[in-house]
Amino acid sequence: MATITPEISIAERPVAERTAAGKRPYPGALVVVEGIDGSGKSTQLYLLKRWLEIGGYRIHFTEWNSSPLVKSATRRGKQRRLLTPTTFSMLHAADFADRCERQILPLLHGGYLVLADRYVYTAFARDAARGCSPHWLRNLYSFAPVPDITFYFRAPLDVAVNRIVAGRPKLKYYEAGMDLGFSLDRAESFRIFQEKILNNYDQMVETDRFILMDGTVRVNKLQRLMRQLLGDKIDLAHFAPKKK
Amino acid sequence: MKRSRTPASRPASPNGNPVKAKARKKAGNNHAAPAIRFYGVPLPGVRPEELSGSLIVVEGTDGSGRSTQISLLTEWLEGEGFAVETMGLRRSFLVGEDIDALLAENAVTRTTLALMYGTDFFDQLERRILPALRSGLIVLADRYIFTLIARAAVRGIGRDYLHGVYEIALRPDLTFWLNVKPEVAFDREFKKLQTISYWESGRDMSLSNDLFKSFIRYQSMIKREFEYLSKRHEFIELDGEVSVAQVNGLLRKRIASHLGIRATHYKPSHALAHLWR
Repeated sequence: MATITPEISIAERPVAERTAAGKRPYPGALVVVEGIDGSGKSTQLYLLKRWLEIGGYRIHFTEWNSSPLVKSATRRGKQRRLLTPTTFSMLHAADFADRCERQILPLLHGGYLVLADRYVYTAFARDAARGCSPHWLRNLYSFAPVPDITFYFRAPLDVAVNRIVAGRPKLKYYEAGMDLGFSLDRAESFRIFQEKILNNYDQMVETDRFILMDGTVRVNKLQRLMRQLLGDKIDLAHFAPKKK
Repeated sequence: MKRSRTPASRPASPNGNPVKAKARKKAGNNHAAPAIRFYGVPLPGVRPEELSGSLIVVEGTDGSGRSTQISLLTEWLEGEGFAVETMGLRRSFLVGEDIDALLAENAVTRTTLALMYGTDFFDQLERRILPALRSGLIVLADRYIFTLIARAAVRGIGRDYLHGVYEIALRPDLTFWLNVKPEVAFDREFKKLQTISYWESGRDMSLSNDLFKSFIRYQSMIKREFEYLSKRHEFIELDGEVSVAQVNGLLRKRIASHLGIRATHYKPSHALAHLWR
């Protein structure tokens, strides 16, 4: 039966096997930030990106849920509240696959340093909090390349939730997890939902080798640490501008 | 890939199903739910025991006579007093049109397309099919996860990965496979449309610049995938090259036995008479 597959799929190799091998099949590197809303991850990745941009490094920045491909479906589903935990998860997986196959993988093969604001761990944490089977989710995203570094920004639940609630006049329906029936009060539902996500993230610290970052540390101090950790783990010279 | 589907945990083969036979006796004409309705962990929020209807799948390539048979079966079942719901590919409200747009644009990559089809499938399953099965309807599926798995697998996506994606799907009560040779499918499709579709001939796979050769090679690959799936999922394989009436007779016999009704005579109404060749 093997003869009929035109090429070997990355999906056929389990994530663990590729991690254990230690060697990646591409010259690029993948740096990921994860954490609940309000943990400070996007701010920190933005600052890291600015630092690398100013230095002229070969980088690409990518965000969770940014592909135009599934935008109309996501909008339709959210407006009419048609999304179930499964279709919500599938749509995001399709969206991620598009980004992965058309941006992330080609750029990694092309020798770029790819910075990702949220990655598959967002789906593992959030969709499992929505009731999807963790085993099913792991398989669904098994085509994703394993990051070289995953920074996990962790802030206490109250700190993170207050940062979000204070800055937003109204929490959106799915964002607040209203489809899950935790509470009729949006702020309360959001809090319960985020707590479940936070617990799911915490469980991945060891299994997925997260680097724990304290989201309550001063922004510039945390950024200094992040730059240092990046330099320790990744040979940045590899991505530096070529001298003529 | 760990999957909960082991031979020991499955109901007996559709050929001589003792589980269903017993259930039928107890429930009379009410077609009772088989023991295991999902391949793996059920979809979130679904209680398998509330699904009292039957899911009957008809698989086969374009030109296998699938849609014709679904139309005829719908009429027959409604005539027998059963309420029928149908499902097919790209028919979901959520993403049906988006997939059409992706196919037209032809810039989509294989994993994305496979997962968009998956989204379309689960949207129909959760929002139309499960409610129908809860109400005791008979669902006739014009293709199911097997076509989706076969199409993605021939494009190099791992079979275990694909089975993993669909392990939360509902296991059909009966799965028929209308098997036809690719050459026969080609003749029928060409006669119907006067051309051959881009995707049905696998032209995204650069198999041949000749449309006929491309179609035959692609459909042969799909057929081999189906042969594998047929064993794994115990399809009821029917020769799709015999007459419409003959295929329909065999389908009705198996479905009638599953539903616990006597296989009745059936002649299509005037509206469907043109299909009865």
